Amino acid sequence: MNAMSPPLHDRRDFLGGLSTGLSGMALMSLLGRESASGALVPTQRPRVKRIIQLFMNGGASQCDLFDHKPRLGELHGKQFDPGEGRRVEASASVPGAVLKSPFEWARHGQCGRWVSSALPHLSKRVDEIAFLMAMTSKSNVHGPAAYLQTSGFFLPGFPCAGAWVSYALGSLSDNVPAFVALPDARGLPYNGLSAFTSGFLPANHEGTVINANAPQPITHLRPPKNVARVTAASRAEGLALLQQMNEAHARERAGDSALTARIESYKLAARLQLAAPELLDLSRESRTTRQRYGLDKAETENFGKRCLLARRMIERGVRFVQVWSGYGGARNNWDNHASIVKELPPIALGMDQPAAALLDDLKQRGLLDDTLLVWTTEFGRMPFSQGSQGRDHNGGTFVSWFCGSGIRGGAAFGESDEWSWKAARDATTNHDFHATILHLLGIDHEKLTVRHGGIDRRLTDVHGRVVKEILS
Amino acid sequence: MKRAITWALFGLCCQAFLARAAPDFARDVRPILERSCYGCHGPEKQKSGYRLDVREIALKGGGSGERAVIPHDAKNSRLARAIRGVEEDLAMPPPDSDAPKLSVAEIDTILRWIEAGPQWPDEFAGKAESGRTHWSLRRLKKPRVPGTDRSAHPIDAFIRAGLAARGMSPAARADRRTLVRRLRYNLTGLPPTPEEAAAFIADGSSTAYEDLVNRLLDSPGYGEHWARHWLDVAHYADTHGNDHDFARPNAWPYRDWLVDAFNTDKPYVRFVREQVAGDVLFADDPRAVSALGFLAAGPWDETLMAGIFEDTVDHRMAQNLDRDDMVATVMSSFQSLTVHCARCHDHKFDPVSQREYYQLQAVFAGIDRVDRVFDDDAAMHVRRQGLRSRLKAIERKDARLLETLNESGMRKIADRLRSGQAKRQEHWKPLELVSVASATGANTRFARQADGTWLATGDVPQKDTFIITARTMVRDIRALRLETLPDPSLPGQGPGRYDPSGNFHLTEFRAEAHASTGATTGAAPLKFSRASATHGDAGGGVATAIDGQANTHWSVHPHYGKAHEAVFELAEPLDHEGGATIVVRLEHNGHERHQIGRFRLSFCTGEMPAELRAPLPFATAELLRRADARKADLQEMALYQLAREAESSLAKLPTPRRVYAVSNDFEPDRAFKPALKPRPIHILIRGEIDKHGERVGPGALSCLPELPGALAIPEGEDEGDRRAALALWLTDRRNVLTWRSAVNRVWHYHFGRGLCDTPNDFGIMGGSPSHPELLDWLAVWFRDEAGGSLKSLHRLILTSETYRQSTAHNPAAAAVDPLNRLLWRMNRVRLTGEQMRDSLLQLSGRLDPSMGGPSVVLFNHKGDATFMPGGGQPAYVDYAGFDPDAPANRRRSLYRFQFRTLPDPLMKALDVPDGDLAVSVRGQSTTAVQAFALLNNPFVIRMCDHIAARLRKESEAEPETAALVSDAFGLILLREPSDSEAGSFAGYCGKHGLANTVHLLLNSNEFMHIE
Repeated sequence: MNAMSPPLHDRRDFLGGLSTGLSGMALMSLLGRESASGALVPTQRPRVKRIIQLFMNGGASQCDLFDHKPRLGELHGKQFDPGEGRRVEASASVPGAVLKSPFEWARHGQCGRWVSSALPHLSKRVDEIAFLMAMTSKSNVHGPAAYLQTSGFFLPGFPCAGAWVSYALGSLSDNVPAFVALPDARGLPYNGLSAFTSGFLPANHEGTVINANAPQPITHLRPPKNVARVTAASRAEGLALLQQMNEAHARERAGDSALTARIESYKLAARLQLAAPELLDLSRESRTTRQRYGLDKAETENFGKRCLLARRMIERGVRFVQVWSGYGGARNNWDNHASIVKELPPIALGMDQPAAALLDDLKQRGLLDDTLLVWTTEFGRMPFSQGSQGRDHNGGTFVSWFCGSGIRGGAAFGESDEWSWKAARDATTNHDFHATILHLLGIDHEKLTVRHGGIDRRLTDVHGRVVKEILS
Repeated sequence: MKRAITWALFGLCCQAFLARAAPDFARDVRPILERSCYGCHGPEKQKSGYRLDVREIALKGGGSGERAVIPHDAKNSRLARAIRGVEEDLAMPPPDSDAPKLSVAEIDTILRWIEAGPQWPDEFAGKAESGRTHWSLRRLKKPRVPGTDRSAHPIDAFIRAGLAARGMSPAARADRRTLVRRLRYNLTGLPPTPEEAAAFIADGSSTAYEDLVNRLLDSPGYGEHWARHWLDVAHYADTHGNDHDFARPNAWPYRDWLVDAFNTDKPYVRFVREQVAGDVLFADDPRAVSALGFLAAGPWDETLMAGIFEDTVDHRMAQNLDRDDMVATVMSSFQSLTVHCARCHDHKFDPVSQREYYQLQAVFAGIDRVDRVFDDDAAMHVRRQGLRSRLKAIERKDARLLETLNESGMRKIADRLRSGQAKRQEHWKPLELVSVASATGANTRFARQADGTWLATGDVPQKDTFIITARTMVRDIRALRLETLPDPSLPGQGPGRYDPSGNFHLTEFRAEAHASTGATTGAAPLKFSRASATHGDAGGGVATAIDGQANTHWSVHPHYGKAHEAVFELAEPLDHEGGATIVVRLEHNGHERHQIGRFRLSFCTGEMPAELRAPLPFATAELLRRADARKADLQEMALYQLAREAESSLAKLPTPRRVYAVSNDFEPDRAFKPALKPRPIHILIRGEIDKHGERVGPGALSCLPELPGALAIPEGEDEGDRRAALALWLTDRRNVLTWRSAVNRVWHYHFGRGLCDTPNDFGIMGGSPSHPELLDWLAVWFRDEAGGSLKSLHRLILTSETYRQSTAHNPAAAAVDPLNRLLWRMNRVRLTGEQMRDSLLQLSGRLDPSMGGPSVVLFNHKGDATFMPGGGQPAYVDYAGFDPDAPANRRRSLYRFQFRTLPDPLMKALDVPDGDLAVSVRGQSTTAVQAFALLNNPFVIRMCDHIAARLRKESEAEPETAALVSDAFGLILLREPSDSEAGSFAGYCGKHGLANTVHLLLNSNEFMHIE
């Protein structure tokens, strides 16, 4: 078609159907190592090699955690009125009276950042953290807002950030997948498995889901327990025989990388299976470490376990780990419609200590030098009440934070209005958020594209600005 | 060292030489442009409408209107001025861009090139492929078949001409074992049985191959396999998707329609028309309604469309994107165009304007995705559809209907209304109230009056909910009635307590009930199917009191001081043997102090005629009291009565079938309400929901040769006319895209790659056809000679030698054409998830061949058929623990219940789409996850046991291991093991058993690929 597109075209051909041509590259693809093809070598100096993303499912209340608004105390109990005839839109409730945050607030660290008493541990680490104080979402509803924050699009079907990163950079080791999702032990987040989808990218970029508490943490990793005929020996000898048969078959069918890729996929599977038990075995961690992550307490164990797993994973070469706090149900998440004072503290406490421990641990082990720790959610909550104690969804302003290499600790960018109702200054979007993550990985978000349905699709759609203000 | 100096000197000499000669375009100029300019002014982007890769535009200039290159006049040429960078606004590349700047020498080169009278050879002229010159939009003419051999198969003639032009030749014909397996999978999705393969291999008849093709095309499995292809394109699933992902239990009749359409070889024109407007164009054919499942197959966001407030940005955006999905689905499936790229701006590459895109949205502006009723019996279907459209015509006061009503006729109808109303009151029985309480009013009191009404006195709180408890022994309750009555003690006589008007705002009418006796397992909320009232203000009437929305309410403004009545019809009769306790909640969360003052509750049971259930509207009641009714009044009364009678007749018809399709005739559900007439469609500037541009009506595309984009739509507001017009436009023989798209898609599924390898995108960003003439030849042949018969098209393709080639590798050919675009061999493809799973069932002898019906659930779940365990818990779906031997697990994969956000991990691992996006080319990924699935999935493992058991059963009494291994190879791979395989597999089988041996064979590349 033109001078620029053939590489892309061949690449898509190759990625779309491995049944033809292009020797060697199949193996790269299998390992998620497409950067070696030359098309997606980082376009700028990467500041980090890997990412741990903490995702607060349900819409964490910015005005009860990080966005301190004394004005809410003054207006508490009065009907919310932003003035100038501005319309107050809540998606499913009648806007109620202004609700002040029920928590104590104090300044922390050298940067003097306000953090509420709901986060006693993270508040001590604000000097390591850079905040986006006025993120906005196009949607006020979990499904689309979560899609926007995971995949950059309002609708289902688009690859999520982890899949894009896997596609662009692959894994750092042959023995682990590039993208791992660690959902809450109580269940999947909104949008189910679609939250980790590879969309129209090749399937190997899909998030590998690890259900930390399930008897079988990784689907299909092992045969069901009651199958006596499958033994270690039957497997090992079987795989050897299978490989022999497939190799003989492939020899008679030269020039088909799909066949050799399939042979490799079984070898990779064997390595993954071998690596998995060690990867998931938290008993190898010291008692102190386990305690620091809160594994000894019921309220922190769920999230703590997965934060610790996240650290073990990036140590072993996983590129992108996503740890979810809260699931898609009506309770036990950040969707505190009924009562901030009753519903927020348990989920916040469950997250706070483990997240802080993870930050410390990464730092102590030197991992923070090339790892990015990101904390986010799909939207914020309203400064006024739903019912009497709860808060409805608010895409108008919410908070995310970054920590790690390339990040200016103690920085904050953006500011919400006097009520924490809408972004007032330096608003950022999910696109800016993703552009910044890709930038830190050394990827120009405008250049990471895949053609689908007639459009060169990006994680950042046609938007996005790297938030340089929080970078060091 | 000396040598380096020599080279350097030589370089200088060359430069000196070049400085005198005019720069050569290809050698000197183009590389500079390519490196520094193409990024923004090249094939991908054309900022300011300017591009430097196409001679015509490069020289003429772009959006500025200024000439870019004036021969021999670099000084005034805009291009030269831009690269020199002297003028700040014009400097190129822009200072903040990443594009490499031009060196002084490079600028000099270009200036000299212009001064020399810029030479730009034809071979680099480039083509601005925009609009009608693009291959897919050219006129469709049947090209001459290449070669002189009239007896040659036309497909082979085209393909061989393409190969010969590159000095290549096709591969040899594949052997019969390969062919029977290829054909069987390709047409039915299942492997041949060893007997079937043996029979074909031994068949000496000269028509053995053609007979096999025909037999397979006639087998029911053909429709099942090809329906699955089309489900990918329609992005079908059995759930809505998105955050709650509720079940969509009536999606499957569309799937069954597809199977039938393929098996009966429905002509392509009809195939398209039914899926876009079957209800309109084939109104007498009940099954044509289920074809509309196509438009509704994609995801639907329950929260955005129904669960949140109607006036939210989210809701309006969702409505827009819902139509967008319909437009995109229709246009990518039937036209292979990406018109949805024009939602925010004119299509960047293809000749589709933003206006045309919104015109297409307007075609679908009257419908929503919803269950739609139909009847299998054609006569019943016609009767029901007739009544429903009559009802709609009455609501709309359709002119054609009014013509049929003369004065005496209307008088008779009005008399029926009068006599019915006289008897109406008898059907309502008072509900005995145990208690009435205010939720917030500390001093609000309720006093029972002699006539059974209750009067509120005392406090009037800001907002309040009346909690009313009643007990009744009556069974089969069908409706509850709330009367609000005037009273001298109330402001303005009531019926509300708001001072001074006497109004009230009933935001929500809720009720729950439980059996009064026996074990009570908690009260169940009563679901109302409909609410009607004597009067409701312009805010939406009494229906808003059952819409679950707290910002809408029923009020009687401005009819104060009068008696009103609202009837709430139950979706299911309330029927408890020992009587029921009912708790009614009257919620007043609207304006302050707007509460009901005096009320009475009553109920009706089964016996009441349906047409009498709804209260007579205030206005109609007034008319009825008038002695001297004018013609217009009579008409009002007659229409009211006719509507109730039509409803009553509908209620008496047998329960219809349902298909999840599109409709404008459904009961509202919260914010999800039918459009009585098509919703107004505006061009949205930059696609932003609140930036309305011009309003547009329905229309199609104007980029096709010969076929205008205007749609012939009769006057009126009937949305069906719009879809019908689009269906006719799509199937017009002049619509070149339709025919090219159809044959290319079929080709794709036979060869693993279309002649154009982007079957959903024939635009400029899509692939270019490898054999454009063959594509056109097939399109014309399919349209004119085959009459749109897909089976004929299959026959034509499958009987070509091109299809029958082996997959043999040819290094020389691969060097020239590594992707096999020229088809010098057959493509090897991997089994799809469905082919793999269905093969296992067939090999085990456990395949249940029954066709159609509700989707079979292959996972454990909690809760009812919605799979929602309740209590705000998300869906619980357990694939791993599901019994592999459950009867449901014996059906073909086509029939499994597809959960969009919780897909079956086995199917997912093998690239089966989850239904979120339209898929025209499935991935054929190779992943470790896939290896794990085929090694450890419980279903796969159990099927190995069954296959092993079957092999044992069918072999001799005490079979040798070697014989079992040989049988396993025969069954699974349709061949004998080689000598070395025989030895190694017998050894393995002896040690680890037959089931493990079978498991290995099923994991082999040989089994998992179709040659």
